[in-house]
Amino acid sequence: MFFLHNLERRVTLHPSYFGRNMHELVTTKLVKDVEGTCAGDYYIIAIMDTFDVSEGRILPGSGLAEFTVGYRAVVWRPFKGEVIDAITQTVNPHGFFAQAGPLRLFVSSHLMPDEIQYDASATPAQFTNNADIVIEQGTHVRVKIIGLRTEVGEMWAIGSINGDFLGYVLMLDYTLRIIVMLTVLILQLPPGIMSRKQTMVC
Amino acid sequence: MASSAPFQFAGDSESEDDHFNPAPAEASDDEDGAQRATGSSDRRARSPDADDDQNEDDEDEERPSKSASKRARHADEEEDNEDEEEDEEEGVTKNGYDEDEEEEEEEEEEDDDDDVQHRHRRKRRKDHRAAFFDIEAEVEDEDEAEDEEKEGEEIEDFIDNAHPDDIAESGHLDDDRRHRELDRRREIEASMDAEKQAEILRARYGKRAPARGYGEMTVVPKRLLLPSVDDPSIWAVRCKEGKERDVIFSIMRRIEERAGGKDALSITSAFERGGTNSVMKGYIYVEARRQNDIMLALDGVLDVYPRTKMVLVELKDMPDLLRVVKTPNLEPGAWVRLKKPAKHAGDLAQVLDVTENGLEARVRYIPRLDYGVRDEILTGDGKRKRPGMPGPRPPQRLFSEVEARKRQPRQIQGNPQTNTWVYNGDDFENGFLVKDIKIQQLDVKDVNPTLEEVTKFASGSEDGTENLDLKALAASLKDSNTNVAYVPGDVIEVYEGEQRGVVGKVANVQGDIVTLRVTEGDLAGQTIEVPNKGLRKLFKTGDHVKVIGGSRFRDEVGMIVKIVDDRITLLTDQTNTEVTVFSKDLREASDIGGQGSIGQYSLLDLVQLDPTTVACIVKVDRESMVVLDQNGDTRQVMPSQIANKLPKRRTAVAADRNGSEIRLDDVVREYGGQQRQGKIIHIHRSFIFLHSNATTENAGVFVTRAGNVSTIAAKGGRATNPNSGPDLSAMNPALKRNPAQSQAMQPPKTFGRDRALGQTVSIRRGGYKALMGIVKDTSETHARVELHGKNKIVSIAKADLIFKDRVTGKTIDIYSRSGRGGFGGGASRGGFGSGDRPGGSRTPMGAGGGERTPAWGAPKSVARTPAWGRGEASGSRTPAWGDGSRTVNPYDGNRTSYGDGNRTAYGGATSYGGGSRTPAWSSGAKTPAHDGFGHGSKTPAYGAGNNDPWGSKTPAYGVSAPTPGASGADSWGYTPGASGGAYDAPTPGAGLGAPTPAALNAPTPGAYSAPTPAAVGAPTPGAWQGGWGADTAPTPAVGAPTPAASGGYYSAPTPAAYGGAPETPAASGEIRYADDD
Repeated sequence: MFFLHNLERRVTLHPSYFGRNMHELVTTKLVKDVEGTCAGDYYIIAIMDTFDVSEGRILPGSGLAEFTVGYRAVVWRPFKGEVIDAITQTVNPHGFFAQAGPLRLFVSSHLMPDEIQYDASATPAQFTNNADIVIEQGTHVRVKIIGLRTEVGEMWAIGSINGDFLGYVLMLDYTLRIIVMLTVLILQLPPGIMSRKQTMVC
Repeated sequence: MASSAPFQFAGDSESEDDHFNPAPAEASDDEDGAQRATGSSDRRARSPDADDDQNEDDEDEERPSKSASKRARHADEEEDNEDEEEDEEEGVTKNGYDEDEEEEEEEEEEDDDDDVQHRHRRKRRKDHRAAFFDIEAEVEDEDEAEDEEKEGEEIEDFIDNAHPDDIAESGHLDDDRRHRELDRRREIEASMDAEKQAEILRARYGKRAPARGYGEMTVVPKRLLLPSVDDPSIWAVRCKEGKERDVIFSIMRRIEERAGGKDALSITSAFERGGTNSVMKGYIYVEARRQNDIMLALDGVLDVYPRTKMVLVELKDMPDLLRVVKTPNLEPGAWVRLKKPAKHAGDLAQVLDVTENGLEARVRYIPRLDYGVRDEILTGDGKRKRPGMPGPRPPQRLFSEVEARKRQPRQIQGNPQTNTWVYNGDDFENGFLVKDIKIQQLDVKDVNPTLEEVTKFASGSEDGTENLDLKALAASLKDSNTNVAYVPGDVIEVYEGEQRGVVGKVANVQGDIVTLRVTEGDLAGQTIEVPNKGLRKLFKTGDHVKVIGGSRFRDEVGMIVKIVDDRITLLTDQTNTEVTVFSKDLREASDIGGQGSIGQYSLLDLVQLDPTTVACIVKVDRESMVVLDQNGDTRQVMPSQIANKLPKRRTAVAADRNGSEIRLDDVVREYGGQQRQGKIIHIHRSFIFLHSNATTENAGVFVTRAGNVSTIAAKGGRATNPNSGPDLSAMNPALKRNPAQSQAMQPPKTFGRDRALGQTVSIRRGGYKALMGIVKDTSETHARVELHGKNKIVSIAKADLIFKDRVTGKTIDIYSRSGRGGFGGGASRGGFGSGDRPGGSRTPMGAGGGERTPAWGAPKSVARTPAWGRGEASGSRTPAWGDGSRTVNPYDGNRTSYGDGNRTAYGGATSYGGGSRTPAWSSGAKTPAHDGFGHGSKTPAYGAGNNDPWGSKTPAYGVSAPTPGASGADSWGYTPGASGGAYDAPTPGAGLGAPTPAALNAPTPGAYSAPTPAAVGAPTPGAWQGGWGADTAPTPAVGAPTPAASGGYYSAPTPAAYGGAPETPAASGEIRYADDD
């Protein structure tokens, strides 16, 4: 789930940056340092703005200046039970890995509907129910998070596609592509084509 | 029942011929308390009694709930199909009542009794009918039971219409008619063909459920069956331990012998609850009215001691005597330990089958055979071996046909196909000894099979696959709850006993009693105490757990993906594999941690195996680990085999195949091969260890050479293109003001005739490599060369030409100033030229006058300190300077830049000095280079200059490594210096051949960027400033009153520059600052 979160961070600045636009530099550095990182159990997606840039304090010994910066960021925190869309990354007999933005997910074969089985003979390997559902690398899946693990700078989840509306997601994009392909096909065959061919043959 | 009923009637009819009496149907209805449990034969004997008729109603009122016996009676008497069904319905209702009764209070019993009574009346009606059928049965064959049924239906109609009181008479009246009817019917049926008959039968019985037993009918509230004071008492009588059953059998025999006689035993029952593990062993229990009866009954029976103290069992304890303790249920596949064959005592065995009577089990275990070896020895001694003689028992080994044949070929027979043998009278299957063993001789509790033992059995399977029956293992392990420890905070579930299903958190554990705070359900919030036995830990899918004890997966940490009963499958954090363990072996894991270390070595560490081999730990077991060495081989090593652990060096830098620097945590992809992609976890010399999530093999770790990967993403968005250093302008406003600086600098034009024309050249690369020729024509980049060897003019890039002296054949520098001398511009050009080269390194353009500070000639008035330009160009601006008149060979020193593409190293032009020696080369800079390498930190310069064997490369090495700037983890502030050119800058020191202190003193603050040139002639502080020096005003350099500063391109060659005044340092910054202010 996404949140707008007020956070605070200490930013240090090298003396060579000291000058009139220090605050701007502090902000830039903050953005570079923080955006896209995982802070414990959430990801900092984007920094909206900063406020309260404190006065810099020179750190004894190094000469760096330290600023305390308050900022407002869009954070994403995945929750147990949350349903998210992800893209399958790798498929192995035990299940498949999927990526939902920065979050890696594993969906064990135990956590799939019974009819979905691993098919090693397919290339690439896939999970399939031998009908409409094929989960292979690149497939969009809808996954329910059932377990989360957080490590320093990393999060990692276990998901399930055992449930209504979970699992294989037929992307609109996909449908569109088919339509486009069909259109192209049709366009490629202008009405006159057959007759022209015939003439050529003649 | 359908079949038994007629049979019964047949019997009845025989025995009751004399007493035939249709009316008193009630006869069979009655019974009294004492006889209620008797069988049908008793009743048959009693049924004609007239008293019963009279008493019946009263008795029924009084003893309405003696339903068990009534049910038994019904079973005997009811033959009618419908009746039977009705009866069962009643049974059902009754059951319902029974259950209710158990829960209800005493007063409600009355109602129940009424119900029962009511039912009883209904039954009595049927009983009339039943009696009636007795009559019919009399005249019928057994074979024709069906007919009776049929008739029963009709009769039922009749009876239903009749008032009970009329039954007797009506029965009489109809008697004759019925007989006649029956005869008729039989005739009809006899005339029907068999097929039709079968159909009728099927129609009649087909729909019956097969299993209709007496079971339902015999259900009686347990409470009502409990003994009361009116019942006989039970005494416990001492007997010889182990002989309990024998004693009972003798009593039984005695009863039979004396039955009916005048000395008939007056005890009611006798039983024993012996058994090796029973607490009631050594006693038999006898039920009798008086103690004396027991004395008489047991008088003279062996092994029982009625004269010793006899214990009267208290009323409330009586039910406990008969409580059935669930005997451990042996199921095929379960594990047991052998007690009996002494040789195998304690060995693990697996149950294959249990005999019907439950006394013996067929088990298989690994034999301990010596194939007669010991026998032979003994016979050799001429002594007779005493069987069972203690001795070293042979080790457990699967049966070997070969061995057996060798020693005792006659003892063995069997079938090699099925691998079953009989040897010395024992059966062997697949090497296991298979034997029927009494269950008493098996240890079924606390078996605790170790994994080793179990695997022996598993690996014995034919296809070699492990087919561990985890369920059986679970069952064996479950018995031993001893090692399950619950700690406060554990979430547990009660799975056995009254509190089954209760879930709670452990609040306290005292011995075997666990205090539990219920968290779910009706009891939520309450605290209950439960014995440790029926508990198990409760986990939910997705929980993060750690395996503790018991299992070979100990210390694995993972997330639960599946739960079946108490078997839990989890996905381990370390290796992403699935393991299945019992919930008792799990504990909620803190989010950190996990296995992955033995002592100081932990997963993914880099370790030194021997002086030439390093390896990355990819798996940690309990006592050993698996490592992936630099050659890509995995091997298992013990911690003792590891020389030492290599600390992770954050500063390690390598160059990828494009020359970009790569560091730890960068994401790179293999070039060619499998194109695996991974994050760098270790850099060791030219090897990098990568970690990838795409595979679980070797924990996702693989190794490759640094030169074989290309950068995908550098950590923290560090620029990966060697040409683009960090974007300084974003950082540093000062730079923004000088956008031109960031643009690629055009090489200075040389005016006039290209000096290359007419020169003798040799070609450095390409298909014409090493051929000599004369330059006929040139363009800006290319030269048309007429080859000596072939009559041909080819077009070759200028960068690929080596100019040779026509006479001596020596390599010369045609652009050098030697011929012209004193061209001030040249010098300055050199300074800047080199300064702007990307890819750095092209250092050494010496300045003719050595004394000049390198930067001095900076274009556009931005007089930079040597290192300063690092921004775009990295290259730094080395002072290059050969001292005195020697010059760098531009084409050596600078060719690199050519190679790099964009710009020619016009710096070369500066090396007027004339000497052809390149300072870089001669300088002894090689040494530092070496050092640098030793530290493993190659500078980008290296990669960039990869086509230049000397010159630039070396110095860059030497200097760069030790700069702290290089190590800066911060992608900002400091790093810029580190990446790209900064390194290159410092080369020149070399020029003197004497490594100046500056060069070595890397770690000075200035070193940040470039421990530079200052080195030589002019140890000006200004030079130190390195990257930031330019900006930071307060550098001495600035302060230094050097006129050198200059501004213009060619302009103002400061005296220092030419004059050789050593103290003219970098100058530069000055002007800019002036601007600033």
